[in-house]
Amino acid sequence: MNINKSNPLLLHPLNKWMKKKKWSWFPHQIETFRYVRTGSDVVVFAPTGAGKTLTGFINPIDDLTKLKKFKGLHTLYISPLKSLANDIVRNLEKPIKELDLNISFQVRTGDTTPYKKQKQKQKPPNILITTPESLALLNSYENAKEFFHNLKYIIIDEIHTFLDNKRADLLSLNIERLQTFSPNLQRIGLSATLKNKQDAKKWLCRKKPKIVSYENSVLPKIKILQSKERIPWSGHMATYSINEIYKEIMKSKLTIIFVNTRAQAEYMFKNLWLINKKKLKIAVHHGSLEKNLRLKVENNLSKGLVDCVVATSSLELGLDYGDVEKIIQVGAPKGINRLLQRVGRSNHNLNTPSKAILVPTNRFEFIEAKAAIEEIKKNNLDKIDLKEGSFDVVAQHIFATACAGQFDINDLYVEIIKAYPYKNLNFSDFKELINLIQDGGYVLKNYDQFKRIFQLRENKNIYKLVNRRETRKYRMNVGTIIENPMLKIKLGTKTLGNIEEVFIQNLSQGDSFIFAGQVLEFQSMKNNLVQVKRSKSLISKIPSYSGGRMPLSTNLANSVRALLAKSNMRELYPDQITEWLTRQKNISKIPKKDEYLVEQFPRKKNFYTVIYTFVGWHANQTLGFLLLRGFKEFNYKPLGFVANDYAIVLWSLKEVKEIKTILNLGLLDKHLDNYLEETSIVKRLFRDNAIISCLIERRLPGMEKTGKQVLFSSDLIYTVLKKNEPDHILLKSSYEDAKKNMIDYDRLREILKKIDKKIILKKLTSISPLAVPIILEINRENLSKKETDEYILEDLENEILKEANVLSIN
Amino acid sequence: MYYQLINFGDEEFYAYPNKSLYWKRLNTLIISDLHIGKSISYAKNKQFLPPYDTKEILNELFVSLDKIKPSNLIIVGDLLHDIFSTLSLKDQDHKNIGQYMENTDFIWIKGNHDRNIQIEGFKNFTNYEIDKFLFTHIPIETHLFQICGHYHPKVKIIHRGKTIFKTSFVHNEKILILPSFGILTGGLDINSKEISNVLGKKNLNIYPVGQDKVYKL
Repeated sequence: MNINKSNPLLLHPLNKWMKKKKWSWFPHQIETFRYVRTGSDVVVFAPTGAGKTLTGFINPIDDLTKLKKFKGLHTLYISPLKSLANDIVRNLEKPIKELDLNISFQVRTGDTTPYKKQKQKQKPPNILITTPESLALLNSYENAKEFFHNLKYIIIDEIHTFLDNKRADLLSLNIERLQTFSPNLQRIGLSATLKNKQDAKKWLCRKKPKIVSYENSVLPKIKILQSKERIPWSGHMATYSINEIYKEIMKSKLTIIFVNTRAQAEYMFKNLWLINKKKLKIAVHHGSLEKNLRLKVENNLSKGLVDCVVATSSLELGLDYGDVEKIIQVGAPKGINRLLQRVGRSNHNLNTPSKAILVPTNRFEFIEAKAAIEEIKKNNLDKIDLKEGSFDVVAQHIFATACAGQFDINDLYVEIIKAYPYKNLNFSDFKELINLIQDGGYVLKNYDQFKRIFQLRENKNIYKLVNRRETRKYRMNVGTIIENPMLKIKLGTKTLGNIEEVFIQNLSQGDSFIFAGQVLEFQSMKNNLVQVKRSKSLISKIPSYSGGRMPLSTNLANSVRALLAKSNMRELYPDQITEWLTRQKNISKIPKKDEYLVEQFPRKKNFYTVIYTFVGWHANQTLGFLLLRGFKEFNYKPLGFVANDYAIVLWSLKEVKEIKTILNLGLLDKHLDNYLEETSIVKRLFRDNAIISCLIERRLPGMEKTGKQVLFSSDLIYTVLKKNEPDHILLKSSYEDAKKNMIDYDRLREILKKIDKKIILKKLTSISPLAVPIILEINRENLSKKETDEYILEDLENEILKEANVLSIN
Repeated sequence: MYYQLINFGDEEFYAYPNKSLYWKRLNTLIISDLHIGKSISYAKNKQFLPPYDTKEILNELFVSLDKIKPSNLIIVGDLLHDIFSTLSLKDQDHKNIGQYMENTDFIWIKGNHDRNIQIEGFKNFTNYEIDKFLFTHIPIETHLFQICGHYHPKVKIIHRGKTIFKTSFVHNEKILILPSFGILTGGLDINSKEISNVLGKKNLNIYPVGQDKVYKL
């Protein structure tokens, strides 16, 4: 068959441009074009470099050129990141300008000026590139219906990053709203390759749903840094390998170093500068930096003006940033999908493999890195778990709806349950959320005269906003991302970015810390501004950002277990890791794939129990708390516990004799409710819920409320509410959130169901080699922030190693 | 009830974890900044806090009055949050208060929040003098020892790298500031300018209020 004849894209307006570039159409682009043209909603799965963005725009551009001078908004493009939105504009510009197509396109995000936004509302472009939050805002305007009534396509880029969080809930509700405004609207989703493609399809598609998939046959080349140095037992900063990382940067034209936290980014950046003898151009990029600083780095990156950028997930998504030759991932990969996404940032060319180097920061991470590489070879991707939509997001959506004009609650309910995350939302919960927006939804009806929305007297199903001033409050509080309370950092009159309030509270005047790659001295804090000056101090702190602990994916955890159980260690690991594991094998045991190793030993007057679960930090944290209670019940006098992704360690005054009796499903059923009552998890989530549902405001018009105040009043509300109205919808919502996200309930349940039959109990006389990393974390957590310097850790480490009698391993 | 002894102006006071202060010699209970009806006043700005604050504050007060049976109750200001607050006092509340007034003398010192509000049956004062003590909402220029409210003091405690804030009683040689007896009320750092201007920074006696106990720093 002659492919040319059957390829409808040869007549596409972009074909000329493609030809000039000597590019040809991908099969998945042809397929998508056909499906969309015949009225299907489509999700396209393709790796980076396979023209994914273009795939989304093929049908809109075809339409727009045929329609000639189409007036108004035709296509909406949703991007998960502001920076990505800017990048899309840059890339769309090229063909449209070169071909002189009469298509207008603009970007609209939180960074767009009010003047420009106003103009966009009066004269919308054909293509608008925006974020889920900006879309929600657009939908809250009174003229939203007019604005969108001609909308033909909505393109959701990087849809895989949306699916399992509250932003997805918000987006899904707003897509349904658009569909109401413009019933002919078609949906196109663009995604990285996923394991559960059907779920993504169900989430997005309504009309003749179709999946288009393109698998890359060229595998990325990923290896672990061959370090001559000693890999630390514990820690997350990779100080040991800094010289080797520097050498790798020198070898490549352009390198991105990905790290897992903002603190790691600052630390890595600082350490690279300390040894930057060749004066390489190194930059840092993370979400807390001021917009202008971020944009500058992004620009330099796309123009190839830097040698290396140290980045967090802030640079994970998007199109080409120039010719990135190499990716260095420092720290645990945490998930296969995440690693692939990051690795895919190098070499945006399908036929040459991406190149990446993994730098584990400690020994367990080495095994995790190795496991991740094995899984990528097998193309065994992570599954994304779709969750039931959150209540607080519905509440915010109800408020937004009221801002746009009066509404019928039955119509709204019918629209909401069309959204996939809310297909099971029942009407009574929905009604409670209406009440929540109306007057807080309390049983005690005290606020009759102060409602926010009210029912029309002539039709009780119609609700209306009491007062237009409320729209301003909604607009200041839109969105589902709740950052920890942040303060702006000012160097002179220049804003450098945002820093956690908690961090600043622990500083005294004159203390120095590192931010945006500079050593700064804390001078004063006024209102929400932290005034700093440059410092020459050598001792400085790194701001920690408490959010964003990435969960270890179940898939990768299983593969770590499988890898650990393999006996051909010498082939898999460098000598130091092999020796570590061999010694573990001799002293204790290396658990088989389906075994749960429990080690017990005395240490410094206390009794230690270490459980290797490999269920990730969230689940381990929960299990730790539950076990504390279990131990208490058996009168073992537990003193504390520490958890990481792989294991939990508990210490107690008395010997724990009945671990097999305690560690089972009963533990979860018996103690979970108490645990939730006692810890601050639900309380903290309540704060997010109260803000997202607009019960309390993160900012008041004209007046910044400091984070402390928000935190304070939400805690008070939580306490009063729990005492007086334990069934309140926001409490229910917070509990659901806790179960879904913070405590990894389902995952823990799965493990506890089968664990009791698979426990391998080892009674030891002293700490085992495998336990050293987690025991080290105990000391880290108990150290004050000032002391968590790597040097001190090393010191501590030696002390504990001596104790474990394994010093010779080095 | 556990209490913490506070020596102030050569007199002994008991600080209770419910944020009240008791002057045993004169059988007088002192509270401050109840901000009754704050929730309803917020509701008029569409901030819907749980409407249970008035109920809880009064319950706490009544429990204290039942236990201590003081001859006098001195409220050093901001009994009410604002004029809307009176809406949250139901008939039954007025009735209950009336009953307690039979055995206890209620002395309501006006604060900045309730300066212009009247409640039937309540005697009110701008300030009130007993012996060498002056009870006032905000301290004034005087040679007397002053017991006041207004600032809702809280203390920042940094310990083992963790920072916590605790509502506190605080005094220097001449001035004692009570914590707020309210439940939806915030607090002000003892190191803030506002409080430093009144108490200075040195020689402060700070008594953080814990769950069941008042501590001493």
